[in-house]
Amino acid sequence: MPNADWDELAELALRRVTASGAEYGDIRLLRSVSQTIGGEDRRIASIRDTDDTGFGVRVLYHGGWGFAASSVCSLEEVPRVADLAVEIARGSASLASEKVRLVEEPVHHDRVVTARRIDPFAVPLEQKTTLLREVMDYVQRQPEVVRSSASLWARRDWKLFLSTEGTRLEFDLLASQGEFTATARHDGRFASRSFSTPHLRTGYELIAEANFLAEAPRVAAQAVEKVKAPAVRPGLYDLVLDPEHLSLTIHESCGHPSELDRALGYEANYAGTSFLTTDRRGVFRYGSPHVNLVADNTEPDTLAATGYDDDGVTCQKWDIVREGLFVGYCTNREVASKIGETRSRGSNRADSWGSVPIVRIANIGLEPGTASLDELIADVKRGIYIEGHGSYSIDQRRYNFQFGGDAFWLIENGRRTHMVRDVIYHGMTPEFWGACDGVADRTHRRRYGFITCGKGQPGQSGWMTHAASPARFRRIEVIKG
Amino acid sequence: MSATNQKIWPKMTSREEFRFLADLVLKRSGGDDTTVTLQDHHGGTTRFANNRIVQNVDTRRGTLTVSVAFGKRRGSASTTDFTAGSIQETVARAERIARVSPEDPEYLPPPAPQIFPARQTARPETAAAGPARRLEYANEAIGQCRIENLQAAGIVSSSVVSAGVAASNGLFAHEERTEARFSLTVQADDATGWSAAAHRSIDHLKIQERTLTAIDKAKRGRDVQELPPGPYRVILEPAAVAGLWSWMLWTLDAKSYEKGTSPFADRLGRRITDERLTLQNLPGHPDLLGTGFTQEGLPSEDALWIENGVLRQLAYDRFTARMQGVKRIATWEAPHLSASGPTALRTQDLIKQCDLAILVTNFWYIRTVNHTDLTLTGMTRDGTFLVENGQITSAVRNFRFHESPLRVFNQVEAVTEPAEAVTSETGKLLVPAMILRDFHFSSVTRF
Repeated sequence: MPNADWDELAELALRRVTASGAEYGDIRLLRSVSQTIGGEDRRIASIRDTDDTGFGVRVLYHGGWGFAASSVCSLEEVPRVADLAVEIARGSASLASEKVRLVEEPVHHDRVVTARRIDPFAVPLEQKTTLLREVMDYVQRQPEVVRSSASLWARRDWKLFLSTEGTRLEFDLLASQGEFTATARHDGRFASRSFSTPHLRTGYELIAEANFLAEAPRVAAQAVEKVKAPAVRPGLYDLVLDPEHLSLTIHESCGHPSELDRALGYEANYAGTSFLTTDRRGVFRYGSPHVNLVADNTEPDTLAATGYDDDGVTCQKWDIVREGLFVGYCTNREVASKIGETRSRGSNRADSWGSVPIVRIANIGLEPGTASLDELIADVKRGIYIEGHGSYSIDQRRYNFQFGGDAFWLIENGRRTHMVRDVIYHGMTPEFWGACDGVADRTHRRRYGFITCGKGQPGQSGWMTHAASPARFRRIEVIKG
Repeated sequence: MSATNQKIWPKMTSREEFRFLADLVLKRSGGDDTTVTLQDHHGGTTRFANNRIVQNVDTRRGTLTVSVAFGKRRGSASTTDFTAGSIQETVARAERIARVSPEDPEYLPPPAPQIFPARQTARPETAAAGPARRLEYANEAIGQCRIENLQAAGIVSSSVVSAGVAASNGLFAHEERTEARFSLTVQADDATGWSAAAHRSIDHLKIQERTLTAIDKAKRGRDVQELPPGPYRVILEPAAVAGLWSWMLWTLDAKSYEKGTSPFADRLGRRITDERLTLQNLPGHPDLLGTGFTQEGLPSEDALWIENGVLRQLAYDRFTARMQGVKRIATWEAPHLSASGPTALRTQDLIKQCDLAILVTNFWYIRTVNHTDLTLTGMTRDGTFLVENGQITSAVRNFRFHESPLRVFNQVEAVTEPAEAVTSETGKLLVPAMILRDFHFSSVTRF
């Protein structure tokens, strides 16, 4: 732990909470250090190094929640914050028409360290800025490329979690990511093409192995090809979606609706509710039999694989959609019992010490099928192959969605032919997943993640990984964006 | 007077304390230029759903950021620990980064010292509001909904921020800012109605009025029909107007304009919207959330962005402004959109003018579809109604739209006086409600 006195502070807080008569309390002390290097148009535009330390105390008093947090980690501040959390919980309890009850969880004592081979904070800064400048130079060697950007990001979290139930957990978590973009201009239009590593809980080896400089000429050339490509002709197309693109589709159309707090109305005023209402669990046809969506917070290197969530619940693996049938939710200790489950799925996370944990999308991935990517494409007469992320929007119950992408290739008579631009597809979530008739095999599986998933009031940024192999969807409506 | 003097603990970083911290940084720094920024935030939110409190939080976070430059090499480091040892370490981190950073050809020293506008950015009643006040307001909204046998979900929040910027060239600015917010979604069976408010003063949230608005929309939403997608005359309430205008503002950056990657390329000085519309930044307006200065240390002042439909201003970074000879950088933290000529008083007056139209309360999940022409998409939300013969006749299922604000704000038929617009995606603006013709809805959802 970065601070030797954290245990003393934690125990001081929990003693105050226990003495108040609260039925439950926990404290998270967290130090997060991050480094973000941003390049723009061949120059290093910013290097930001943050050190964010604080603690949050959560109290359940007579069925009402209270949470208070502070960046002042001192023996004077901890009792004030703990007492304030109790006071707030008392207020909540005074209006509680229904008492919060937590499902059981064994007491844990553990230390979690995520794997890394190269500490990104130990890599010389000059090495990183040189890489970004070189990749932007490569990209802008293409005459039509008028702008470029590139960035590297890393964050390390040291966390101590203690609860009044006796759980004590230490965490040392690391995550890394890098990306670059080329923007080309032609005939009054402009278009961008990006290359991005996933956000993963790994070290700088993720960047070293991504080989930005080898990818740069391809990305620049594709930016030019994209801006010069013919606009898509609207109509029905078969779509073959690559794993990076699917990560966003999965996130928006499966991840969010499978959050039980949304289904129960907790997010009605902001992120929205869910068409996957509790009466549909086990009976609702979400997709075709090819669609198996599995939550796995145990897969090494993925963002939600932190050993335990912020309820102190062990990370797990479970089904969300099995052979097209909706079967499971992401839950925490508060909401699990509302669907008759006796244990939380361990999906309760806060984005910092200053935020209260809320139900979060797990690492939900599309299980591989049996086809090769070539076989998926070979069986398409008129289709579009889509890579990467573009425009995205979905209604607050997650029915009506619309997605773009980063790059689009026309498929004609079983072959990828040439790029097209301005592709937007839209539809209804169950019909879309119902149109899935093939998923590529495990050799094509890739993982992409998000660290900016917005939810909660005050807003929080959630972290999760979505793995997938390419998948094919029949007769999807495409419009020109 | 400090708005937070009456609070005993936790005490926010005062002007004098920020000056002390800044001096500490500036004395320790060996850089050619050093800048210190303060963001000391204390706020709380009471969140409710299904007519009960589901989240009730209070957080204090102080952040000090140090930026150091050696020549044109610069680095930045921040900390939440305000002890002398931590501040020294933060300065050293920023220096280490700056020493090994490549030269930035666009680097400029901190802005020159100046006197910043003194604005009433902090209200004592908001600074003093704590969990009990927030709970009282939440209970008021929940109570109204319970009486109607409806479900309430929403938030009441209040916060105080001590913000400052200081630099080695003598630049110094500090102010306290308060903000209170209320938003409410009322559920009536499958229908929802919504309303929201934000103000420097918690006394101005108008909880009862806002709650009754959301209840009315939810109850009207029970009788719903599905209409086909296509072009419609629409009445956009202020929140919906704000959603589209915010995307215009966010894409007005001058660097993209100069590089030819802006939807506004070659349109500075030309008409881009209906000639009746004028957009200004009015940071001194008592109902907006204006400030006295920016985080960079530039003054926030009145600015004319769009004058009678003509684009007059771009969002300049300091380097691009210098290259273009722009002396004064306009900000837009307090947007005010108004119309010349005859205006209606309220949305209700616009409804009376329409034989057939769709009334939109709010948009949700607005995103860019085409950056070149600023085509956007998004969904209607929390109150979409059919207007026939001057009155609301039923709710309609929510639409997805596919439109460019650069097109539809040239199709303005009527406007109201500017009114409060607060959404989860836009912040706060004062904008009119509007009637627009041929607004393109591309699909319909299931509710």
